[in-house]
Order: sequence, then structure tokens, then C-alpha cells
Amino acid sequence: MKTKLLLTLAATAAFTSFIGVATEQPAHARIKLATLPDKEAVVVRFDHPNVVIVEEERTLTLQKGVNNVDFSWAGTNIDKGSIIFRPVDEKSTTVVLSTSYPPGEAALTWQINATEARSEKFRLSYLMANIQRETDYRAVVSADEKTCTFRHYFKIRNWSGGQFDEADFITRDGKTFEKGLANGEAKRVLVNRWDNVKLVKEYNYDPQRQSEGKILTDYVLKNAKDHGLGAIPLEYGKVRIYQQDSAGTTAFTGEDWGRFTPIGDDMRLNIGIAQDIKVEFKKMVNDIENRRGNVYDTNEVDEYEIKNFKDGEAEVIFTLRVDGEWEMQNSSSGYTSFERIDNETIKFKVKVPGKGEPVKLKFHYKRLNNW
Amino acid sequence: MKYATIIFALLLAAPLVAKEELVTLPSRDSVQLTIYNSEDLTLVREVRTLSFRQGNNRLQFSWANTLIDPTSVEFMPVGAEAAKELELLDTSFPAQGHEMLIWTVACTKAAAYKVEISYFTSGISWSAEYHGVVAPDERSMELTAFVTVHNNSGEDYEDAQVRLVVGTINLVEKIIDLATPPQPGGGGARRPGPPLPPSAARRAAGPQDDADAEENEDGMRRPKEIEKVGLSEYYIYTVEGRETVPNRWSKRLKSFTVAGVPLKTVYRYEPAKFGWEFTKVLEFKNDEDHKLGKEPLPNGIVRLYKDAGGGRLSWMGALASKYIPKKDEVKVNVGADPECTMKLKRTRTQKKDLTFNQRWLQGWTQVDTYELELRNFRDREVEVEVHQAFGGDFDFSGEGWERHDAQTHKWKLTLKAAETRKASYSVTTRMGTNARK
Amino acid sequence: MRWLIPALMIALAAPAFAKEELVTLPTRNTVQLTIYNSVDLTLVRETRNLTFKKGNNRLQFSWANTLIDPTSVEFRALTNPDKIEVLDTSYPAQSNQMLIWTISAEEAVSANVEISYFTSGISWSAEYHGVLAADEGSMTLTAYVTVHNRSGEEYEDASVRLVVGTINIVEEIARLAGGASQGQREEAYRGMRDAAKSGDSKKDIVKEGLSEYYIYTVEGKETIPDKWSKRLESFVQPGVPVRTVYTLDPMKYSGLTRLLTFKNDEAHKLGKEPLPAGIVRLYKQHAGNRLGYVGAVATEYIAKKDEVKVNAGADLEVSFKHTRRSLKKENLVFQWSGNRQYLAGWDTVETFHIELKNFRSRNSEFELNLVFNGDFTFTSEIASTKVDYRTQRFTQTVNANGKLEITYVVRTRNGSNAKK
Repeated sequence: MKTKLLLTLAATAAFTSFIGVATEQPAHARIKLATLPDKEAVVVRFDHPNVVIVEEERTLTLQKGVNNVDFSWAGTNIDKGSIIFRPVDEKSTTVVLSTSYPPGEAALTWQINATEARSEKFRLSYLMANIQRETDYRAVVSADEKTCTFRHYFKIRNWSGGQFDEADFITRDGKTFEKGLANGEAKRVLVNRWDNVKLVKEYNYDPQRQSEGKILTDYVLKNAKDHGLGAIPLEYGKVRIYQQDSAGTTAFTGEDWGRFTPIGDDMRLNIGIAQDIKVEFKKMVNDIENRRGNVYDTNEVDEYEIKNFKDGEAEVIFTLRVDGEWEMQNSSSGYTSFERIDNETIKFKVKVPGKGEPVKLKFHYKRLNNW
Repeated sequence: MKYATIIFALLLAAPLVAKEELVTLPSRDSVQLTIYNSEDLTLVREVRTLSFRQGNNRLQFSWANTLIDPTSVEFMPVGAEAAKELELLDTSFPAQGHEMLIWTVACTKAAAYKVEISYFTSGISWSAEYHGVVAPDERSMELTAFVTVHNNSGEDYEDAQVRLVVGTINLVEKIIDLATPPQPGGGGARRPGPPLPPSAARRAAGPQDDADAEENEDGMRRPKEIEKVGLSEYYIYTVEGRETVPNRWSKRLKSFTVAGVPLKTVYRYEPAKFGWEFTKVLEFKNDEDHKLGKEPLPNGIVRLYKDAGGGRLSWMGALASKYIPKKDEVKVNVGADPECTMKLKRTRTQKKDLTFNQRWLQGWTQVDTYELELRNFRDREVEVEVHQAFGGDFDFSGEGWERHDAQTHKWKLTLKAAETRKASYSVTTRMGTNARK
Repeated sequence: MRWLIPALMIALAAPAFAKEELVTLPTRNTVQLTIYNSVDLTLVRETRNLTFKKGNNRLQFSWANTLIDPTSVEFRALTNPDKIEVLDTSYPAQSNQMLIWTISAEEAVSANVEISYFTSGISWSAEYHGVLAADEGSMTLTAYVTVHNRSGEEYEDASVRLVVGTINIVEEIARLAGGASQGQREEAYRGMRDAAKSGDSKKDIVKEGLSEYYIYTVEGKETIPDKWSKRLESFVQPGVPVRTVYTLDPMKYSGLTRLLTFKNDEAHKLGKEPLPAGIVRLYKQHAGNRLGYVGAVATEYIAKKDEVKVNAGADLEVSFKHTRRSLKKENLVFQWSGNRQYLAGWDTVETFHIELKNFRSRNSEFELNLVFNGDFTFTSEIASTKVDYRTQRFTQTVNANGKLEITYVVRTRNGSNAKK
């Protein structure tokens, strides 16, 4: 700012030309939009797992030629780069010429060219942060633990700074519900209910899931039509499980996170510990054999004594792991079937009679070529 | 006198007035508490009768100063008619309060309907306790089981049906954390208000003294029954009748008393289970032969007393017992007994099969011989079980011993009254390059 | 308010007075900005009409509060160049934001002169919106360029040209421009000035290849106030065919990644120009021309004919399970050391199993790249191709709601067994 005189002149010139667009050419319309009023046909879509897209329609009265439209969104969490503004009519001749972003403001200006003066509907799409969504489920299991009623809830909380007086909220699976949602407000809506959903109850022994060697009770639902589900992929969410009790009411029997379950896949839910089945582990043989230099094999027998104190028989699934190169030996016993899931993992199914009568699973294996 | 408030209100949008009218509703018709002991969790289910008008009804439910988990609050019509006429459209959690929600319920026919409101709260728990009075000959005992309900929830529950769940349910988030989310500004978990002065609490407890016992036809009172029913992997104990449990109070109820439960005494040296001491273990089974077995025994403190004659008791010990399924055995360790002892000594040690690599020792085999002495000073026969465990590449030899697992051998025997028994065994351990393992 | 200002004035040395007289000059006739987005450099060429008196004229040019590089300022007469000549350029001691040219004119003459200089603070970036059709088989691709002005100077009615350089050239310019040596910097400026000379025609955003540069020329004039950004549409291309390929490539992506691929060529209705690096936002078309959001990724510069892979993240509706079914050690070779023998070499034989599940209601393509180390032999029943010395690739299609299993065996020779 050495030469003040020049500075002033230049600044004045610039200021004039800036305003000039509106004053010298009165044919240019200037329209102001803000996030709050006059929204039409608002759609809030949750089909992306983390991001929410909002679409709203605005009717603009355009003059022939270039129109300036200001849009500002102070106080709301709109992602500026994501804003798309276009005529609703795909064949419209109206075009957006440019978008200008002023410094330090949650605002922009579109230059729109209209071939004739008219009123036109535009759709404004943008990503909005801080609209949280959450899925949760409630399963009411029948007394015989063979079926359940599965309710699917969708909960949205609006921290975005924006207000939705009336909007269509569309879940990932295309379910639409119309609600108003104030800033800071949360809403929970039942979106699906399926009756007579089949479930399979499993008892699992898996030291990786339960380090104390207790038996886990799992319910396994299959997201398939012939199992009473299969309409939509099931979103990740908390499942609270209740069971019908002898008093004609229900009792809460546990909860678990249900992972995202595509159609055709299983949802496994742990409800708790099966306290009436006990397993005692003993290593009966732990020998080294077949030494060659520094290389040796081992010979190992792991024994699991299982007592089922329930009245009836139960099947327990053992998931056991051995590292490295190993082979199961034929003298293993006590199981009805087994499956080597991968090199490290083997699964045994064991039938355990009721009333505490003990059975033994004997897992005999050799780990080969250790050093 | 409640300081914690669950308020249930119907919001009536008067047609000509824009403002909402708030109507507080009568208290609950019935309350059921289902209390879990593996987690700080109680399922509260209350039934109320509400008048609905045709169209959309807005119901407000608020729970300031309690430990209710807002994500758990559910609204359900009760009965076929209510289910047909009422539909819950949505649940709104307004911006202005964490401790309030509003249900929008559509009603197709104006009438009074029964609805159930259920929610999880934390702060109510229960525990089991046992008293065993052992007969002078230690061959039987009288076992009494109690359950105690503790209410620190911030809410008084009057005339509630109380159900206790025995078992370990899976809970992925703590109810207390859900009930008290982090405050803006980083404040800690919110707790219910200050404790009541005792007098006020007692007033609140009102009919509590009478509720302990039920009156039968003769006007006699008997303790309440506790009904036990299995549900999935759990048991539900239902306390007969209604209970009032004021906030900050605990209440103990008798679950059962069984006299003449047969007891067996076994002296055991089993470090893996009972520690490094030769101890006396009283054993019984939770089955019909032991006059038990009707239900599993929840985990709790077992206090054992000995019948000292003349209605007097002497203290034997206390221990925490784990959950005991039906038909499972119970082993109560009452500690060392000078009337039955074990001594172990090494009588000989020897090294052999020494191998050298360029004059340096690299392998050897050690043979140790031990003598075990068991003495019974009592005037009756006792059972004894001794475990001995070894490491490395070893061979064990000893008469009467059996293999327990890869490391451990055990010896089971019966000692007659005043009998002393000695048994020796030897362990051969291959060390250094002699070891094959 | 604007701060300002390269200001140009003529200092009239009146013979009778020692003092200088300042004459303000008319504003610029034309301004052209040539913006190099990767080096934070913009070549500004402005023209003005000046009147010179016979003899020596002193012309002052100042640029307070801007980001102009003083060493880059050049003066050139566009008309009557034979009648006027720059005798010297002086940088007055009292100001480092000003220079004075001494220009001799043979006679009193009016001339159109060009003043050019490099400034930093103006940049541009590219952005793309892809709207996928409902079947995900094609998309409408819209390209945008956004010009950001933080130069301290407001440019009014400027013609804007954007330079897309190939990576090597841009790096070279960046190195020279940022380098210590003035000579090198001048060399870089010369190269950039040369590059900027062509491509003056004005159409849409016109893209012209110029040796290793592409110049996008924005149609018409743009006014970009200081600190403002302005976004302009570069092109819209409907119906660009897109393939979805679920790709496993541990060197590039973590886990099985959904890649939307297309080529910048005629077959994909593109290929007219390279696509500058920028953010690609993908949307999916829903009923009623509404949009759903798919994802956003930053892409690198895409040359003509080059393939574009847009990472749309993981897709929960396909699953990939990779397990080692068995491990065996074979061909153990021992070596004696003293009186003991030690393992010297061995082979490991590992059987792997891949399970691909497609929960979607349409067929899905998969490309699985598996990387191995050491001296290995790869065998599988399902055909695979060798990508490089350690990478093996399976290319498979899995039917709607279908499943595919692949088993392969890897033998690795270790220790003294290894030949590599």
C-alpha cells in the first residue's frame, strides 16, 4: 500500500464493477435461498453406510438470461463440495453456468442461464453430516426356542443443525417413512416385523470366544425366505432378545450385536452362558517323538469331560485350534462328526446326554516337524 | 414421598388452542420387576389403563433422576383389542431432554385400553445366600437358601411382582452407561439424588412389614413361596405375591429350607482346586438323593455352622460358591483339620546315566523317591484323595496310584478310624540331552 | 474492500522540475491467466494502451500486497515495437514492491503493451460427479474445474486457461521454480511462457494438447474476486460404460474392494483429453431421477486411453473368505554340525481355499491378486495368470446369489532348498 491514491482508485473501481452486475444490467435476477424455508419434497436417504444424502426441491422464478441464485447454509453441516443443483426436468434447457464460493462463508452463488422467463423446479442434493442412524432389533423367542418374532427398528438423531418439518426418510433397504425431525431430536420407528422366524439354538465351546471354557448359548437366524426373513439385508445393530415365559409375559434373555447379514447369510447371536453344561479340560498325553536332529514331532491327547445337567440330551459344538502342521489321529473319540475348518481349526459335534451323565471328547493329534 | 419421578402423560392437542395440554395419568395398575444378578439390569414392566381418542395421540414418558436406559423403553398394547385398535407410529426423543420421550400412537376407536410400558433400569440387584447347619456327626446338614433384593435405582417400587433371573446373560453395553450418557462438559455418570432420611424412607416403605408374610385361612402367617421355573438357559424365581422395595432398601426372602441333607467328608490334597494344603472338604449333591435337586443353586455366600448341641451353633466357615446346576456336586472346603494329616518327604535322590560332551555334562537322569504318610486321628473312617504333579520328561511308579492327566497322578484311599498309612512312589526325570521331550 | 494492485503509472520527468510527476494509467485492456495447478504458479498477461513521449519515459509498476514474483515481470510492446525500447529496469531501494522501467521512444507514440508476470496464490482443481445408472452398468460423468484466487489481486473479466501437465514436466517446473538459482527459475518461467503462447482460441473449456501440457481454455471472461472460488462445468458425458470389479490387491487396497472402472477412451465416450487429478464423487440414480450416495475418492491424473479405477470401498453384499486349509513340511534336509544334525532346508506345502459369495441380485466380477514371497511354485485347478514374479491373478465372475470356490497350492522352498 505504497501509493494510497492508486489504491483508493483501484478499490473503488473494483467495488463498482462488483455491484455493477446487478445495477447496470437489471435483467439479471438475484434470488436468495437458505437452508430453512420453502423446502419442498425433502428426501433423506440412508443408503450409504456412513453418509446421509439430502435432496430437496425449490421452485425458482427465473428471468430470461443470466440469473444469480444465492444459497447459504450457515449453522448446518452441509458438505460444500457435494452440492448438486439441477432442474428436476431432465430435458430442461436451463443450465447452471458456474458456482462461486465467497470466502469464509457457508454460501455460494449459482449463475443460471434461462432461455425464457419462467418458474422452474430445481432439485438440490447434498451430503449432510451429523444425522446419525442406528438400527436395532427386538426378537421375542417362542417358549420352545424354535421361532421368534423379529422386529426391526430404525432410529435417527438429527444433530445437523437443519430442521426437517416433513421429510421422506429412506432406509438402505428402500423403506420410506414420512416424519418431521427437529434439530437435536431423535426418532425411532418400527420399519419391519417378521413373525415365525426360524431359529436354531446352539451350544458352543470355543476358548477364543469364552476364555474360561464356559459354554455359550447362540441363536442362529438365517436371512432367507424359507426361514421367515430374506426380504432385505439386515443392517448391523443391537438385537435384544426376549422369551415368552410361563407367566404369559416375556423375560429378557440377552442381547448381542447382530453383524450386517446379507440375504442368504446367517446372523449369530450370543444370548449368554449355558450354565447347566460344564466342560472340564485335561491334557492326558504331551510327548515328544520322532526326533531328527533339532526337528521333532509331538504326540498329544486333549480330553474334554462334558456334563449336561439338563434333563434332555444336548449337542455341543467344540471349536478347537492347534497351530502349525498337525494331523488328527484315529484314536480320537467321543464325537458324532468333525470338520477341519482350516489348517488351524477343527470343529467337533458332541452329543451329551442329560442329568449330569459325563461324556468324554478325546482329541488325539500329532504336531509334525517342529523346531 | 418419591424424589425420583417417572411421569407418564398424555398430550392433548386441543383443537382450538395451538398449545399442547399435558395430562398426568394415574399410577400403574401393576408392576413386574425381573432382576438379573449377572448384570446390573432389571426389566421393569408396568401396565396402565389409558383413554385414547380417535386419531393420533401423543404420550409423554419421562424419568428424571432414575437410571433408566432410554434405548430400552417400549410401548405395547395389551390384549387383542388394544393391539387391533392401537398402533405405535414412532418414538421421539426431543432435543431438550435426555430423560423424556414422546410416543405417537394412532387409535382407530376411542376407548380406554391397557398398555404395557417396559424398560431396563440399573440399580436393582439380587443375591443368594445359604446357611448350612451341620449335624454333630457331620453326616448331614440343614440347608437354608435366601435371596436378597437391593434397590438403588432411584425409584420406589410398590406392590411389585418380583422375579429373579438365575444365569449369565450376554449384555453388550452396560445399562448404567446407557442410562447416564456423557454430559456435555465431561461430567461423570449422574447418580440418583441424595439418600432419603430414614424416617421418610420408612414411611415410603409403608406396608412393607406386612408384605413379608401371607395370611392363610387360619389367620396364621407363613413365609412366601418362591416359585422356580426354567427359561432357556436360565431359571426364573418368582416371589409369591407383591413386594414393596423402597429406593435404597434391601429385602431378604427365604427361598427354601431342607433338613437332613446327607454330607460326605473327603480329605483332599489337590493343589489345582483347593490350594497347597491338605484340607477337609464337605461334599453333597444337588439331587433328589440329597433331598435337593429341584432347582439349581445360584452363586452366593455359603455360611456353615456346626450344631453344638442345645440349639447352639459354632462357626465352621464361609465361602463363595459358584452356580450349582441340578445334579451337580458341591464341594465345600472347610480348611485344614488337625484330626487328619498328610506328611510328604523325599527319602532318596540319585543321578545316573550321565553323558558328556567334551568333558562337560550335558545329560543326566534323576531318580527321586518319596514317602507319603497319612494319619487319621478321628474315630471314624475317612476318604482321602491325594494329587501329585510333575513336569518335564518323567516316569512315575507307585503302587495304588492312577494317572489323572499328563502331569498328575492321584491316589484314592479310605482310612479306618485311627489308622496311619504310608505309601512310597518314585519319579525318574530325564534331564538335559537325556530328555526326550 | 480490495487490497490491491499491480499499478502501473508513468513517471513524467518534467525537464524544469526535479520532481517526478505521476500519471495514472487506464486499466488493463485484457487479462489472461494461465494457471498451473500443481506448482502454485500463474502466468498473468495483461495488455494496456500507453502513450509515450519522445525520449525517455519512466514507467512504474508496483504490486503491494500481492504474491507476484518481482523477477518474473516482463514488458513487451505489442504494437510499434520498433519504436520503443526498454533501456533499463530499476528496483528502487525504498520499496521491494515496485519497479521502474526506463523506456526510450523514437517519437511520441501510442502503443499496446503487454506486461506479464508470475504470481502464486491462484490455483485450480478438478472435480467429477458420476451418476451411476440403476443397473450400475453406465454413468453420466460431469467434470468441473474450480479456480481458487488467493493471490491478493482481483481479476476482472479475465480469460482463464488451465494447464494440465504430465507428472514429469510438472515436477520439473516445480523443482526449477522452487529452486535456489535465479537462472533455473528463469529457465522454468521461459518454458512456461512458451507453453502458454498457444491455445488462444476460445470455445467451451477447450482442451488442447501442447507437447506434454494440456491447456484448458475457459470460454469467455471470468471475474474472480480475491479469496473467492469459482466452479465451472468442463464437460458432461452421459452413458459412459462402467464395470464393477471386486478386487483384491494387497499392494493397493486393504481387503476386497469394490472398484468401478472405465477407460478414458472413445469406446467409453471419453478420451478427448486427459482428466486432471481431482475428487470423484459417485452417486447412484434412484427412481424419479433422485440420487443416492456411493462414495468419493481422489483420483490421479488420467491420461488419454488410461484406465480409471474408482475405489468405492468395501461392499457388504459380497463376501470373500480366504483360509489355509492345510500346511505340510516336506523334503527336510539335514546338515551335520559337530556330532549333531540340524535342519538346513525344507519345503512348505500350503493348500489355500477361497470362497467368494455374491449376495447381490446381479452377476459380479472378481479380480484377486495374490502375492507370495520366496522361491515358490503356484498350482491351481482354476486358471490364473502370472502378473509379475510374485503375483498370481484369478479373474472370475460369480453369478447372482451364487458362490465360487477356488483351491490352490503353494509350495515354498526354504533354507538350502531355495533356488532363489
